[in-house]
Amino acid sequence: MAEKQSIEDQIKNQMVDTLVPEDQSGVLCTAEADEYFMGIKGELNQIDRLVSDAVNNLVINFRYISKLTKSHHDMVLAIEKMAAPEGSKPILELLDKQMDIAGRIEQELEMAITSLQFGDLVTQLLAHTTHQVEILNIELQRIDRQGNWKKKVGEESLHTIHEGISKAVDVAKIKSKRKPVVQQGMQMGDIELF
Amino acid sequence: MAKTILAVDDSASIRQMVAFTLKGAGYEVIEAVDGQDALDKANIHKVNLVLTDINMPRMDGLKLLELLRKLAHYKTVPILMLTTESGDEIKAKGRAAGATGWLVKPFDPKRLLEVIGKVIG
Repeated sequence: MAEKQSIEDQIKNQMVDTLVPEDQSGVLCTAEADEYFMGIKGELNQIDRLVSDAVNNLVINFRYISKLTKSHHDMVLAIEKMAAPEGSKPILELLDKQMDIAGRIEQELEMAITSLQFGDLVTQLLAHTTHQVEILNIELQRIDRQGNWKKKVGEESLHTIHEGISKAVDVAKIKSKRKPVVQQGMQMGDIELF
Repeated sequence: MAKTILAVDDSASIRQMVAFTLKGAGYEVIEAVDGQDALDKANIHKVNLVLTDINMPRMDGLKLLELLRKLAHYKTVPILMLTTESGDEIKAKGRAAGATGWLVKPFDPKRLLEVIGKVIG
């Protein structure tokens, strides 16, 4: 019975050893974890650059369309003035339709102003997430440097690592800044006058 | 004479959308990229209204509000906060520091103009 228990312990310890890779400096995968977190940070930065680039292009397109719409509107007004005295009914009707279309494009552009603000919300959320990732990385490294898990063996070591990770997450939560964006959609926000 | 509005935001796209909306309604717009830039410009130009974001580098919108209220010209000038933040605690801070109103992003151009019209006539 004791022999069987001993074999089970050996297997357990082997499993724990494979779960707890140790590098040459005696710390727990710090370099790998750091590289992984840096990778996440890099990807978040890439998303931010892509979104910013897209927003810049959209704003340029928006301004150009708006300028063209205004020119179109002015042109239709000028033609209407010239055609008004003896203009035929079908021509005047066509010009009215043109004015109606120009008005509707302007309305759509106004609505686009609300949607085009998404870049600012996304950038703030990405900065917040990057900050959270950084804090978690720092806390994990700090707990790793304390090295309490190294004093333990087998399952105890694994338990200490779990405890360390939980502690790092708790500290990261405390150190995290308030989330700057709570909006779940691009509907207009509340207005309050004091 | 057109009234002048100081629009403060570190996001270029927001500044452009605000400027587009306000200029379209006949206001003159001065843009600032953060609180410090806004404070410098507010000292040079005596604007009729300040519309400011909160989360910005160098100086945030609440600090800007606090410093502007200490300047003689800006004791009574309306200062509106335009921000993604909507928590009661931060709103209370803004109110206590002398904010005239609180607008949560994203803004609707018509409603923004309505509010500005109400506070500066």
